[in-house]
Amino acid sequence: MAEPAKPEVTEEAKMDLLEDDDEFEEFEIDQEWDDKEEGNEALQQWEDDWDDDDVNDDFSLQLRKELESNAPKN
Amino acid sequence: MAAYLSMGEAHRRIGDYLSRVVDAISSSDGAALASLFAVSAPDSTLLSDALAAFPDFPRLAGDRFPHLADLLVPLLRAIHSHSLQRFADAYSSFEKAANAFLQEFRNWETPWAMEAMHTVALEIRLLAEKADRELAMTGKNPDKLQAAGSFLMKVFGALAVKGPKRIGALYVTCQLFKIYFRLGTVNLCRSVIRSIETARNFDFEDFPVKDKVTYMYYTGRLEVFNENFLVADQKLTYALMHCNPQSESNLRRILKFLIPVKLSIGVLPKRTLLERYNLLEYADVMTSLKRGDLRLLRQALDRHEDQFLKSGVYLVLEKLELQVYQRLVKKIHIIQRQKEPAKAHQIKLGVVVKALKWLEIDMDVDEVECIMACLIYKNLIKGYFAHKSKVLVLSKQDPFPKLNGKPV
Repeated sequence: MAEPAKPEVTEEAKMDLLEDDDEFEEFEIDQEWDDKEEGNEALQQWEDDWDDDDVNDDFSLQLRKELESNAPKN
Repeated sequence: MAAYLSMGEAHRRIGDYLSRVVDAISSSDGAALASLFAVSAPDSTLLSDALAAFPDFPRLAGDRFPHLADLLVPLLRAIHSHSLQRFADAYSSFEKAANAFLQEFRNWETPWAMEAMHTVALEIRLLAEKADRELAMTGKNPDKLQAAGSFLMKVFGALAVKGPKRIGALYVTCQLFKIYFRLGTVNLCRSVIRSIETARNFDFEDFPVKDKVTYMYYTGRLEVFNENFLVADQKLTYALMHCNPQSESNLRRILKFLIPVKLSIGVLPKRTLLERYNLLEYADVMTSLKRGDLRLLRQALDRHEDQFLKSGVYLVLEKLELQVYQRLVKKIHIIQRQKEPAKAHQIKLGVVVKALKWLEIDMDVDEVECIMACLIYKNLIKGYFAHKSKVLVLSKQDPFPKLNGKPV
């Protein structure tokens, strides 16, 4: 005499229905990490001096050509 | 598949579980109690098989431990309903057990049961989400997550007081944030934030780091919605700095909001950062800023519109347009300077119209004048108009001030 089999767990499939991608994932209750002063590498990956005077990139060269042409553009 | 279980064995297992709960309480073992409250944990099958085989379990609990019946009976019911995937029932029972536990918790002077309280806080939120999904699918009103929020406010009230329990308040705050963000009722975050940030006798830095990081992520996002980009930058940078470096997915979430904030104050991420965290939806936005390419900015916003709207960063990115205009005028200025240095400071509005036309943006001279006036007003350009001759005259000194970390 055996009990009828329980339905397979489908929670995970259901969970996806209303998933919020931006919800912060739980850190495990006992999860610990080395909270260094310098922080992690992502903090170094920024630049604030990108606004240079270089106009030799493709976009600028095309812009120059456009400004120098006198013919009205269609 | 459940094997055959004798009544005796089922009785024994249930009794064993109940004794472990009662023992954990009498010996003040918070970690043990926490694991017994994890009703949705996958390893509770032994117990749930027993509950299925022994339907009279409420009486067993009530008879054996009458003084804790208010906690134990609904707790067993919650585990039982959960194992049958009846989540709305499981939620209702668990909420009863949670209230009974909170009652006990208030009376304990030390915070020994904090880990268990936190497990209850997490479980009630997760159960409520499952319950609401079930209710919505059967056409009923999904109101459990909101109810879980009300319960957690009570828990917050019990923790955010002077004394040793306060250290656990931030975790509950973070659970509340998750609920409010999901329900779209983020204005409810305000009162908890005030309580956390105005406490005189508790230093924020004394909270556990995982809670601080989560808190800064959510409050940073709130500041993004409120367009307080400087504060948003501070909070999200804090989250990034202190987040577990192993937690890739959370780092990515932080960056998803920090990048638009940084862009709005004139700081660009390196391409490698976008690649590393798979945030390439920002690549074209970044390039458009570097080039002064208004067309590319519009294309990038169009292409990822749904995604940007869903996260709530669309408006932030849309506002980058002024910076892109600034960059374009600057490029025109530099190109002119190379050709005719003497006249480089006079920019004919007609020239800007022409550049815009090339970028597929149709504007007449008056509209361009309007945009230039806006750039001058926002201090992105220093100069004045010669209105009659339709010329923008740039200041000789620093005509294109950098944002230097200040918002536009």
